Amino acid sequence: MPLSYPIRSRTLDNGLRVVVSEDHLVPTVTVNIWVDVGSRHEQAGATGLAHLFEHLMFQGSENVAEGEHFSRIMSAGGQLNATTWFDRTAYFATVPTGALELVLWLEADRHRRLLPAVTQANLDNQRDVVKEEKRQRYDNQPYGTAVTDLIGLVFPEGHPYHHPTIGSMADLDAATLPQVHAFYRRHYHPGATVIGIVGDVDPEQAFTLVERHFGDWEPAARAVPPPAEPLPPLADRPREEHSERVPTERLYVGFRLPVAHTPEFTAASVALDALGGLTVSRLHRTLVRRRDLATGCSAAAMGLVGGSSLGFVGVDVAEGVNPDEVEEVLDEELARFADEGPTELELAASLADTERSWLEATGAQEERADLLSHFTLLHDDPHYLNQHLDDIAAVRPADVRRAAAHWLRPEQRATVAYRHGVGPGQEGAA
Amino acid sequence: MTPGPVTVPDVAPPGPWSFPLPVSWQEDNGLTVHHYRIPGQHVLACRLGLPVPLSAEPEDREGVALLLTRCLDEGTTRRSAEDLAEELERRGIALGAGAGERGIVASLDVVGHHLGDALALLTECLAEASYPEPEVARQVRTRLADIAHELADPAGRAAREFQRTYFHPADRASRPAGGSRETVAAVTPAAVRDFHAQVVHPRGAVLVVAGDLPAEEVRDLVGTTLGRWQAPAGAAERPQPDPGRRAEDAARIVVVDRPDSVQAQLHLGAPGPGRDHPLGWGTFQVLSFALGGSPTARVDRVLREERGYTYGIRAGFRPRRRGGQFLATGAVRGDAAVPALEELLSVLEVEPEELTQEELRHSADFLARTAPGRYATADVVADEALGLAMEELPLDFVTRTVERVRSLEAEDARRAWAAHRPGDWTMVLVGDLTDRVDELAALGRGPVQVVPVGQ
Repeated sequence: MPLSYPIRSRTLDNGLRVVVSEDHLVPTVTVNIWVDVGSRHEQAGATGLAHLFEHLMFQGSENVAEGEHFSRIMSAGGQLNATTWFDRTAYFATVPTGALELVLWLEADRHRRLLPAVTQANLDNQRDVVKEEKRQRYDNQPYGTAVTDLIGLVFPEGHPYHHPTIGSMADLDAATLPQVHAFYRRHYHPGATVIGIVGDVDPEQAFTLVERHFGDWEPAARAVPPPAEPLPPLADRPREEHSERVPTERLYVGFRLPVAHTPEFTAASVALDALGGLTVSRLHRTLVRRRDLATGCSAAAMGLVGGSSLGFVGVDVAEGVNPDEVEEVLDEELARFADEGPTELELAASLADTERSWLEATGAQEERADLLSHFTLLHDDPHYLNQHLDDIAAVRPADVRRAAAHWLRPEQRATVAYRHGVGPGQEGAA
Repeated sequence: MTPGPVTVPDVAPPGPWSFPLPVSWQEDNGLTVHHYRIPGQHVLACRLGLPVPLSAEPEDREGVALLLTRCLDEGTTRRSAEDLAEELERRGIALGAGAGERGIVASLDVVGHHLGDALALLTECLAEASYPEPEVARQVRTRLADIAHELADPAGRAAREFQRTYFHPADRASRPAGGSRETVAAVTPAAVRDFHAQVVHPRGAVLVVAGDLPAEEVRDLVGTTLGRWQAPAGAAERPQPDPGRRAEDAARIVVVDRPDSVQAQLHLGAPGPGRDHPLGWGTFQVLSFALGGSPTARVDRVLREERGYTYGIRAGFRPRRRGGQFLATGAVRGDAAVPALEELLSVLEVEPEELTQEELRHSADFLARTAPGRYATADVVADEALGLAMEELPLDFVTRTVERVRSLEAEDARRAWAAHRPGDWTMVLVGDLTDRVDELAALGRGPVQVVPVGQ
């Protein structure tokens, strides 16, 4: 179905972009701020800083005490959080209508005047918290380092996407207070910032409030953007094998894909959906249903702006099955798909699934705000929110076949394989 | 640079709010239907609940309820599993199903114009599921792999040990909701068919439909699909659930020895009130939030922000179908496990008079004022409404709970804490902790037992 969410945008004199979607169905407003700083902007030897700031931004700022950002918004009835990714850092809150200006004031203080609160003590404490985050999410989980290993294979040493957003703990330990301050000055400025506002607000009023709190924020020179040369598909089948105590054997397969927000990327993402993202997809039919080689499989495309994106296929190998056999079948199916393209059913199912999930996402105020900031910061195209489904519907089988033939051939895959072994991994039973 | 205004802006208080009330009716076959019209929600959320207690499962086939839900769309007398997948995915219909303490729940998330087809397919699955041998065998293998994954995750392993330690061994709640390796491996197609014939029928079932579609349209579509679903001959009255009673020796410490773990996973619990408590569930929501509901709550203020022991620990009262628990879960740095546990206990056993007016007000304001945003989408409304119906709570329960939260006085909250403050903890720690057993015993919190991770 065609979408027609209202979208208004404005760029302040200092370069800050504001994008507003008015919606009065619920008496709440979401403020979603995307900053053009992610792990791809980090320098070798100084990884993890973008994500560290996601933490430090909650530790107070010039006029806001430690903990006050959370407590003021929460008392007003707001929910808030932040996330860091390869291409950006996002800060978001959803509050009752009457608390919109409070959010903008608090955001202005930390986006403009954070450094008085970035003390050695705060830095040390948040480094410890990040280390526990890493231990919890990566080190103490089976397959915890799979994605880190996979991007390490797909993107070459020194490439902006070669390392994970959590960064290196040694780099974090080595970071000095002046270096941390310099990172903030370099990346947090109006030209690198998009404020998305969705909900119970009049757009003119929203622009006025943003102008009041951010209008006199001084512009800065944009940091030199990280390299974004497109990479060709992989050719040498890079591979990493873990032999450890894992609950089941597993394959994580990665591909280079075209840069996000292009027809080629859209076709490649439909290709991955058709290959392995759905129950009717051929990998699922073959590996899981017809040959009982796997207990599950998944596939997805992750759009990135730094020249290349990432394609992913995951397979849970069934107990007692030789993973080599799974890889052989995987290669056969990839080759066949590259030759034949998707079936009518695979394409129709992918389109229908995208339609439902896009309507669910845009129907939730927080997610709509996130998508608006996303398309504005990374692609300068907020109206893509309303256009995405039309783009997907316009994808032809030949586009998908062409994308697969170029990007998703068997020899173009990187593989991280987990095999049963006695290594340091973790296995449980009960 | 001009610093922008430094005065903190005023916040206009939010207006009144209430959880929506449905249009409700009952079909001739005994199915109760609640419809919530929610403008702007183009993806409709349907939730069907069957009050099937897990205690209805044969003890040597536990997990059969969950397997039944996994196999519901794996073949009917009319269609193969692949044909069903095609019918569903061509229309972008997300059909899910699961089984747990509250019963069996099937869900549909579907764009409005496919609702009729989605309901017809769900009806076909419920009335005519055939449970073909290869599909059931595959789902059994998949469940066994899932169990292995759950137990390899420290949080999953801790939850399993906690359940076994906390609940009375004769009570169904002491065993995994989805069955153990042994009982799942014993499930056959015949076992699933038998269980289906006994418990999957419309009597006592509840359907919630939420989204942007008029009630008349929903009534027509339900009437010609689930409304015509008939109970099979031989369908029995469903049994009553087990009470979920606690083990007599539950107040103790169990260490699951997981060598080389860099963190210790903590899972602590004690008895607590249920959602039907006369003091009002809102009272306990406020206490939970103040103690362990956010990074600014008491627990993380100390363990995360002061000490850097953890990425985050969540604690609070958690309702069960009947009664409830106070639970605290999270991971802490392995070498600091014992001091972290001591600090956690001292925070969680805070004296009632130490709870400040300010923190209680803050928690109440958060819970009451976030309600409109938390219940804004069709899926959340449908989930909540079904949960209420299955726990036999009134449909204005959320509204009344928010009212209770809004009007809660600090003194009432302190009195409730004094009466329900957790103690006699059941504590499970998963990690590389065998050399900490003496320190744990010295806490005086009951005997310490070490069990291997692979048990």
